[in-house]
Amino acid sequence: MNKRPPQFYFSLLRVIALFRGGDARRGESNGREAWLIGLAIYLIHYVFFAVQVIPFDLAVWLTTLFLIALAFWIWIFWLLVLYLNSSIIKLLRWCGLFRTIPDRRGQSILWGIMTTAMAFELLKCSPWIRELGTVWLLAVAMNLASALVLAFSDAARSPGK
Amino acid sequence: MTPSRSWLRGFAVRGVFWRHYLDWATINVPFFLYPVLQFFWSLFFFFFAAPARRAILGNLAVVLPDSSRTMNYLRAFRTFHNYAWTISEAAIYKLIKEEFAYEIIGANWLDQLGAAPGAIVLTAHMGNYDLGAALFAEKFNREIRVVRAPEPDPRSAQHLGASLERSGEGAVKVDYNTAGALLSFDLLHALRLGEIVSIQGDRADSGLAAIPAQLFGREVRLPTGPFALAQVAQVPIYPLFIARLGYRSYQIIVREPIAVPRSARNREDDIAPAVEKWRKVLEQLIAERWDQWFAFAPGFQFDE
Repeated sequence: MNKRPPQFYFSLLRVIALFRGGDARRGESNGREAWLIGLAIYLIHYVFFAVQVIPFDLAVWLTTLFLIALAFWIWIFWLLVLYLNSSIIKLLRWCGLFRTIPDRRGQSILWGIMTTAMAFELLKCSPWIRELGTVWLLAVAMNLASALVLAFSDAARSPGK
Repeated sequence: MTPSRSWLRGFAVRGVFWRHYLDWATINVPFFLYPVLQFFWSLFFFFFAAPARRAILGNLAVVLPDSSRTMNYLRAFRTFHNYAWTISEAAIYKLIKEEFAYEIIGANWLDQLGAAPGAIVLTAHMGNYDLGAALFAEKFNREIRVVRAPEPDPRSAQHLGASLERSGEGAVKVDYNTAGALLSFDLLHALRLGEIVSIQGDRADSGLAAIPAQLFGREVRLPTGPFALAQVAQVPIYPLFIARLGYRSYQIIVREPIAVPRSARNREDDIAPAVEKWRKVLEQLIAERWDQWFAFAPGFQFDE
């Protein structure tokens, strides 16, 4: 096996790795992390649009049809958002901002902001949907706090120390 | 071909549009969106790339004869999904040079290959053969010439060739295997100069020299070119495959080298045992990794 690359991307997981004596550098090589965050974002977007778009008084079969179609709509929506975000990043760079950050990290920040805004909207819904939004917001808050911890430590730059 | 038709061809399943889109996505898509996006793109191509889907279903029916048609549809989807991951991870390596985990099976043979003064790497349309060439060139600091089947869209071929050469940082050269070309002389010359030549040996496209062989009890046409080349240049053939293990994780599988001796008998008699050895290796690997055999064109001869 070749050398092991850094394990986590998100600050919260990197801080946990740091406390357990692991590598706190940022890496994109963790499949489980990708699946977990990707599915969480998809779920929040799906529930957000389901609540906003699908009327409550439809027949069961029509609601089911809409829910299936929504799964594909989210995919199309994501493709559009990726394109829109890339234009925003270009504009920001043109204004002299975020010039040293790679495009996909800029996208990552914008996706985080958008999903968090959707999670805020979910707080107005029924209890279980509210819970979903709360879990996301808590995770974002903990991640930001972890980013602060990493910013004040050398661990992210000196792996394993 | 009229300019409008040529432009439209770029949007075909193997058109250049998708290659450019993949490059754009590699730069722009955060890694955590890949799992969901890959799933939907696999679904998209599973429905729209009908000839490729039929070829995979045909292959699966032969490789897994006891599997039901419904199961084979799911397995064909799995193959498409693996392919989506494979080409996107090759693009990630090429464009953003992310690190990949890999383990080696047959490390002693790989070291032999790395030190060999001229050798043929015989591989299949399996796993991440593009990434494999770049990794090999980087690990052993050696040049490698990759022979590929021609792309239907010349712009795709140009883009793919340039990408591979870039990912290998100049150490990977791409040649296209077309009937009637002078390629075999070029390759022979390269082998005599001590270079490594990588050829896909699981299918012989029409117009290329082939030998009939039995794979899973069905007749296939395997290319004779690599064996003839090895015989003339007197270099060994190393069966090598790059299988995907999981997220950004690969296995480099190297099997025992195959020698093609030159005796006084006719050439076919010398080549036949080597082809048989390759056939056995190929059959075993396909049986183990059927979900990574990206043979999107029909290969088996069916009794109609």
